[in-house]
Amino acid sequence: MINPHPGLPELEYLKPSSLEEASKFLADHAGEARPFSGGTDSFVRLRDGVWKTSTLVDVKHLDGTNELSFNPNKGLTIGAAVTMNKVASNADVLKHYPNLAEAARSVASYQLRNRATIVGNICNASPAGDTIGTCMILDGVLNVHGVSGFYSVPLSNFFLGPGKTVLKPGDIVISITLPIPPKGMVGTYKKLGRNTIGDLSIVGVAVLGYPTHETKSGFRFRIALASVAPTPYESFKAEAVLSENPITADSIAEAAQAAMDSVTPIDDVRGSARYRKFMVRNLTREAITETWKKISK
Amino acid sequence: MANVKNKENNPSPIGASLPRNDVYEKVTGSAVYTEDIQFGNKILYARVKRSPLPHALIKKVDVSKARALPGVKAVITGADFPNKIGLYLKDKNILAIDRVRFIGEGVAAVAAVSNEIAMKALELIDVEYEELEPVFDAVYGASKEAPLIHPNLGDYSVPNFIFPKPGTNIANHFKIRKGNLEEAWPKCKYIVERTFKIPHIQHVPIETHVATAMMDDKGKITLWASSQSPFAQRALIAECLEISPTDLRVIAPFVGGGFGCKAGVTMEAIPVALATKCKGWPVKFVLTREEEFYTNFVRQGLTITVKVGCDEKGRLLGLKNMMYFDGGGSTEYGVNVTRAAGYSSSGPYDIESVETDSICVYTNHPIGGAYRGFGMSELHTGLDQAMDELAEKAGLDKVEFLKMNTVKEGDKLDTGMIMHANGVNQCIDNVAKSIHWTDAVKPSSPDKLRGRGIAIMWKAPAMPPNAGSSAWVELAEDGHVTVGLGGQEIGQGTFTVMAQMAAAALGVPYENVRIAGPVDTQYSPYEWQTVASRLTWSMGNAVRNAALDARKQILDVVAQAWHENADDLDIVNGIVVSYKTEQETSLKNIAIYGIPKENDQGWVGGPIIGRGSFMPSYVTGLDPETGQGTRSVVHYTTGCEALDIEIDKNTGKITVLKAAAAFDVGRAINPTLVKSQIEGGFVQGLSSAMFEEIMLRKGVMINPSFVDYRIATAPDVDFPIDTPFVEVPQDDGPWGARGVGEHPMVPTIAALGNAIYNATGLRLPGPPYSAEKIYLAMQDAGIVK
Amino acid sequence: MGFQRITLTVNDLVETVDVPTNMTLLQMLRDKLSLTGTKNGCTAGECGACTVLMNGEPVNSCMVLAAECEGATIITVEGLAKGGQLSKVQQAIIKTGGVQCGFCTPGMLISATALLARNTNPTEHEIREALVGNLCRCTGYVRIVEAVKEAAKM
Repeated sequence: MINPHPGLPELEYLKPSSLEEASKFLADHAGEARPFSGGTDSFVRLRDGVWKTSTLVDVKHLDGTNELSFNPNKGLTIGAAVTMNKVASNADVLKHYPNLAEAARSVASYQLRNRATIVGNICNASPAGDTIGTCMILDGVLNVHGVSGFYSVPLSNFFLGPGKTVLKPGDIVISITLPIPPKGMVGTYKKLGRNTIGDLSIVGVAVLGYPTHETKSGFRFRIALASVAPTPYESFKAEAVLSENPITADSIAEAAQAAMDSVTPIDDVRGSARYRKFMVRNLTREAITETWKKISK
Repeated sequence: MANVKNKENNPSPIGASLPRNDVYEKVTGSAVYTEDIQFGNKILYARVKRSPLPHALIKKVDVSKARALPGVKAVITGADFPNKIGLYLKDKNILAIDRVRFIGEGVAAVAAVSNEIAMKALELIDVEYEELEPVFDAVYGASKEAPLIHPNLGDYSVPNFIFPKPGTNIANHFKIRKGNLEEAWPKCKYIVERTFKIPHIQHVPIETHVATAMMDDKGKITLWASSQSPFAQRALIAECLEISPTDLRVIAPFVGGGFGCKAGVTMEAIPVALATKCKGWPVKFVLTREEEFYTNFVRQGLTITVKVGCDEKGRLLGLKNMMYFDGGGSTEYGVNVTRAAGYSSSGPYDIESVETDSICVYTNHPIGGAYRGFGMSELHTGLDQAMDELAEKAGLDKVEFLKMNTVKEGDKLDTGMIMHANGVNQCIDNVAKSIHWTDAVKPSSPDKLRGRGIAIMWKAPAMPPNAGSSAWVELAEDGHVTVGLGGQEIGQGTFTVMAQMAAAALGVPYENVRIAGPVDTQYSPYEWQTVASRLTWSMGNAVRNAALDARKQILDVVAQAWHENADDLDIVNGIVVSYKTEQETSLKNIAIYGIPKENDQGWVGGPIIGRGSFMPSYVTGLDPETGQGTRSVVHYTTGCEALDIEIDKNTGKITVLKAAAAFDVGRAINPTLVKSQIEGGFVQGLSSAMFEEIMLRKGVMINPSFVDYRIATAPDVDFPIDTPFVEVPQDDGPWGARGVGEHPMVPTIAALGNAIYNATGLRLPGPPYSAEKIYLAMQDAGIVK
Repeated sequence: MGFQRITLTVNDLVETVDVPTNMTLLQMLRDKLSLTGTKNGCTAGECGACTVLMNGEPVNSCMVLAAECEGATIITVEGLAKGGQLSKVQQAIIKTGGVQCGFCTPGMLISATALLARNTNPTEHEIREALVGNLCRCTGYVRIVEAVKEAAKM
């Protein structure tokens, strides 16, 4: 029986003045204190009583969390407090990472995107997270501050299970850095929900592709899937089809089939495993086709 | 005299799309809804301890620790209020006493100085249950094998038109036996038999239920509630608490959406009960969205088997309807849904032989109450799709089939009532034209399938035979008019339409009429409930009568003062005029102080107050075995909807290209408000067709939030909705008007089901018609690979 | 549980308020400042009835802690009309008939106001996308979308 609080349960609010203070507090109060940025996932869990948190630690003002900058050598850095709307409308993002802007724009509603953050989406570690797949195939790296200081972790190593990451008590993700994408990269994010837009994903497919000398086909594609596995899932088998074979309607269909065969989604309130598998195939085919069209222009 | 000579300068408010009289408050945020009423620091918050089990005996409830928590002012349990409560079949208590019958049923309640303390107090309440075997299916629930949910069903008070079966889980069994079905089947050239399952859905008003109650030192209670039924709530709660109705005052501000869920009595009784234990303290109870979804009122699920047959020309000869309504743990209101679905079970079709069994079954599911359509959506979802299939089998165009078989004036209905004049065929024509029914259409790409579907409906106001309305009309010194009424403004625009009617009947400008709101049972005149699409017709008659009464008083006074005949006088634009002598005087001059006699010899007249009342006199009972009677209902509103859709072969997703919805409203008092109702009702219907379902797993609603109970959003309805309504006057409606509030959501599921069939050749067993269901059905049928 | 003293600007007035740390911006506006125009529909950031402008951007105020709002500038529905003159969106929604029960209206007006501030001539598609987070159960959105188009022309 789901019977949440009418408002938020009793809790304290802390606005630490430094990363050190924040990490120390979180480590000292492990299990009772949590960091938050937009709060769009946290507040819901608190109301539901899923978390027995007594203190929310606001990280929105700490060093580096408000950064949104592009460096032609380093790439794009998105601070933990930078909202989805800011990312989706940023000129550098639109120019160099338009597929990320597309993924960010697909999240929820305009109001929620004024609070929700990419880093928060990643740390929440829901397999349905719309921006996680794109960040993964862009080889994003998280910049973390913990009790022992700063460290980095690539997204490919970050997720352990639904809602579970490698973060330890005291860890605060300050920002994510997306390296300069390969030359000629294009991509897209295809999302299927129950409503036309604005829903959580039943299935989400993030695809990017770029020309390269390193593959037989002369192109490399990266394919990440949402809502079909315990964590956001990159389908290497599908990618291999497009590396080994010339890109045609047939090889695209084969890659889509490989994506379908590689996932084991579950039945849940949003959709059945059977439907999800078909949709992985169909949406992957659509996403690759669209990406291929953009590349071959 | 320009006023009078040019009646064209004073167009009647009737039929005019005048702006709403509540809209300024609503756009500035100053409109007061129940939770907006502030009580300062002396306020308590109510929370309810709910059963986590679908069916169990309550062995023990220990509230001692909760009572001792600082900040807790009162804790109550079911045993504190032993009387039963309910609108029709009195089968429920304010809080459960010896047994819980659905997950979320209230077992105890707390009033505390903050929500946080109230929630802590709930955790300190210990309840000991003994689990009982549950019932999660209506057909099973009606069978001999099922455990009894209400073993004392025979003891419950019930009106004489509801037929419970003690010793079973059947709360009501309504029957129609008309003509001779056994002889009809052999005469049928084509027969279709289909079973459909329609799931539970919830009303989803954007404002959840809110009720605040306070008892003063003398024991008089005030209840502020977001309510469609202030007078019914007063009557039912007072009866349950054994107090006089006039000692319970109900004040009902603007309602943020009702759709039936705020009718009757549900959570409102709880803060009243708590208030009796902490005199002088207002107790506020606001349902969370989650509680709104499954603990209060829902629309019952239905399993319907339709068997229908026609001759070689397509003329309907026989219909057999078997309906099992999943009524939930309490059916005090739902029993009448079963009855209404039963007596209207033929739909707007003329069929000589009809056999219907409409059965309301207790289950351990959420409580089914009044939901916009009151059984008609569920019924027509099955009936209209079966008809669709029959028309195809008979090789007839659907529109031709419909128009041939619709009820016409003079036809004998399934209950024996004689049908009045109605515009259903005009509705069909309007809709067919709007959707270009006779044009051939193609999908927009090879990835799409294209289809169109059409469905018709009818509904009568479902209410007891003696449901009444009343009104008064009062003039002030400035000649402005105040209308007193008991019906609620829930968004439908009734305050506006009543002002238009009063203005028209009295002869004053619409802008000079205000409604005496908020409705307050201490001062407002009686209205049965704001349900059943009855206000425009019933309360409209009362308001019109009150205005005419006031008009008569005014003209009599003026006639006396002017030594004229009242028949030669009129009121136009707030001015009393004589067509004979051309004398005139403004209402301002006479409304309160009367008119002086000549030579200072006294005064005639005085304050003008008109009174009006309306109650139909002609609704008769129906035979319990055959459902036959002289007049089952007051009247029917009929209508038609059609959809033009595409289905994406890659995902199963439906894109609506165009919709048309037409209803015979008798007379559109305010055409924009009529169109607004049709648009909104259609979208609610489409939402129930495409998205909505209370997903129940062993009695648990697994999707009690907007995250997973999806409703239509703005991008989902990005297509034209045409609303070519029809006006065939209702003989006893004010200016010929009848209601349309519920009707636009009734045929939508069937229309969409028919369109999906037209596009794919597949007919799904029930809504919601999700993309997944359509895609997997296309896979299984080999339409897509 | 702690309290926080915050100072912020609401509808052009500077307010200093003591708020419990678990109080949301929505609760603060309604209960502490008696600005009851902003409504509570779900307490989960889904229905949009609580939408206000925070530093110029529409947010679900049920998903913002009051304690976070130190120095913020908030506009609620009560702040849309200036000097007794209704705003363009308010006038337009009256004209097109986009108000029925009125409960979603404050949130809709705020979202629409914000849209027209960032996009002076939105397409129908852009309007509907901007309003996806504002649920309405009465109108079917038809006349609300018409109102935004109308306001854009004014």
